[in-house]
Amino acid sequence: MTTAKRTEQDVLQALTDEERALLKRVLQIERARLHVRAADLTDDLLGAVREILP
Amino acid sequence: MRIHAIKLTNFRQFIGEQTFELRSDSLKPVSLIFGANGAGKTTLLNAFTWALYGSMSDDVEKQDRMVTDIVWRSLPIGGSTALAVELTFDHEGHDYRLRRHAELRKQSDEQHRPAPEIHLWETKADGSSEPVGAPQERIFSILPRSVSRFFFFNGERIEKLVQKGAYSEVQQDIKALLDLEQVERAIEHLPKVDRRLTADLKKHGGEKATEIQTAIDEMQELEASNHEERKRLEDDLVTLAEERDRVTEFLRQHASAAPIQKQRDSVAEELDKARTARDEAIMERASLIASRGFLAFTDELAAKTADMAKALYQKGTLPAPLKREFVDQLLDDGKCICGTSLAEHTDSWEHVKAWRQRAGLQAVETAWQQLSGQIAPIAGARQEFSESLQAIVRRIATERERVERLEESKSELDGQLRDSRMEDVQKLEGKRIELDGRIGVKQQRIGSVKTALERVEKDITHKTVERSKAEVTDELAAKARARSDLVQSVLRALQEILRIRSEDMRSRLDAELKEVFAKITFKRYIPRLSEGFELALYQDVNGVELAVAKSTGENQILSLSFVAAVSKLAREIRKDRRVEGELPDDAGTYPIVMDAAFGSLDENYQREVSRALAQMAPQLVVLVSKSQGLGHVVSELMPYVSHMGVIVTHTTAEGDSSEEIELEGIAHPYICASAEADHAELKVIK
Repeated sequence: MTTAKRTEQDVLQALTDEERALLKRVLQIERARLHVRAADLTDDLLGAVREILP
Repeated sequence: MRIHAIKLTNFRQFIGEQTFELRSDSLKPVSLIFGANGAGKTTLLNAFTWALYGSMSDDVEKQDRMVTDIVWRSLPIGGSTALAVELTFDHEGHDYRLRRHAELRKQSDEQHRPAPEIHLWETKADGSSEPVGAPQERIFSILPRSVSRFFFFNGERIEKLVQKGAYSEVQQDIKALLDLEQVERAIEHLPKVDRRLTADLKKHGGEKATEIQTAIDEMQELEASNHEERKRLEDDLVTLAEERDRVTEFLRQHASAAPIQKQRDSVAEELDKARTARDEAIMERASLIASRGFLAFTDELAAKTADMAKALYQKGTLPAPLKREFVDQLLDDGKCICGTSLAEHTDSWEHVKAWRQRAGLQAVETAWQQLSGQIAPIAGARQEFSESLQAIVRRIATERERVERLEESKSELDGQLRDSRMEDVQKLEGKRIELDGRIGVKQQRIGSVKTALERVEKDITHKTVERSKAEVTDELAAKARARSDLVQSVLRALQEILRIRSEDMRSRLDAELKEVFAKITFKRYIPRLSEGFELALYQDVNGVELAVAKSTGENQILSLSFVAAVSKLAREIRKDRRVEGELPDDAGTYPIVMDAAFGSLDENYQREVSRALAQMAPQLVVLVSKSQGLGHVVSELMPYVSHMGVIVTHTTAEGDSSEEIELEGIAHPYICASAEADHAELKVIK
């Protein structure tokens, strides 16, 4: 499924709009809470999934 | 992260409150701070890391004595004083004020290690401040502690960054710095989200969907355990490879030391022989003296004896022809040879008896005869003894000289061998072969785990497709399935992004490193950052790439180039078009604070390193001594300098030890003698 030649943009373009939106949201959530190592982000991430696929 | 200012309160030798402004811009990013040896440059460097992480580098001595000595001494028992470092900085569009602070109460003259508290405030545009919860965690997220060593460092120690064994650690640090951590965390967290979603599917999805989901769950568990095993195997592989490198290095040392070792063995053998020969000669001398040493004293004795015998014969004291036994016979027979009767006590008897006293004994005569016969040979024996003794003494001297010469040779060879670890070559070879074998096994195992992972990933994808086709009547279950599909797709995409970013980051760092290094060094060496993040230098010798044995200086240049490349890449990589969206302009910006900035580099390297850093670092704080900083460093850095200062040493030493430093044509105090107390003063020049 992966080839070394593919770029990050190639990966993104192969995603659907929902997938791209979720990927972006997930990284935003993770980045915002990087400093809290003990944080359990499952609920936040689940919330993001439900927002995108209500 | 751009530092605006640092404020010290009774921090080590920095007495009272002292502030230094560091805010700079891209045109003049450099702050230059001078200080004599022991003035407090290392302390100032450590003030930054103490404020950020609460720790100082190992080279700082007496870490319990945090408060300025004179402040502590003048404090009464029971009194208290403040110790603090405050940093103001901005990071990704937010202004922060960080304060690490301790209130120390004096209970004795000894200081105790403080337990400081950390406070972090975010300063709003209107000037108001808001405390940040989990301040230390926020600092870690701004600049992870492990990564800080790329930005706050001692130039003389920086070569450790590129030493063998450091690369796996460096790889982790760099990952954290170059925006891979959030991807890794997302990959870690999303399976938990998926499990929550699929729990709904299993609950409401009907028999078929439940069956498929159960299979997927099992596969995912297998996938997770395979991931764990791969990580464990890869860690093992790193350890084994490092061990093999060490063994190979020992073997290399052994190969280069082998001729010396052989020579040493031969010298040691010869030395043993020489010592034995010397000891034997000494024993022979002792034996000769014990058995024949008396001859040394017979020179006058023989002559005297000969003279004495001669004199006795001349005097007639030794009536050689007349023997006592003959006289005794006459007396016993009672008749003299002339026919006269020798009755006892007669005149004739008394007359003959008187001859008895004058006659010699046969044994004495014989002894005299023998002795006189031996007087001549004694001189010969004495001469022979003298010659033998001289020969042995010469032999002893020769063997002693030989022993001394061989001892010197052995000592010299031992010195040459001292630094090379002498182990049995066969043992080392055996170990290397064993390690090669173990590495091979691990690599094979990693290969099979990777294959297993690929297979299970395909199986999961296949099953997920199967799941999407399975009939699900329940609306909740259908929704859960759609959401799980979405999460699975995103997870796969993130895994691919992580791989792409990791390799992209490594190759860009490698390219950047090559460029920076080429600017600094005049040698035709090429640095390379391998896939395992090992830094090495190569040289093109007639078209063949050969590894270069790096000197300390080259390691320093390589490390500084690496730091400069990391600093530049950290900024650039965040400007790329990324899925995270737009990042603030200063994302990936970090200051570089360097103590003993140029280590032991030659002047030409100092100049090139100064230039490279001034041009590449977004903010550069350089701490240097007068001898290091003046000259090329100042001339290169001055166009980029926004702030300049001197850590003035106030010393209680008497006499003529005061010194000044001339900066931009003006003399400033550098060392001030005859102070009331030893302390440092951070003086702003510009």
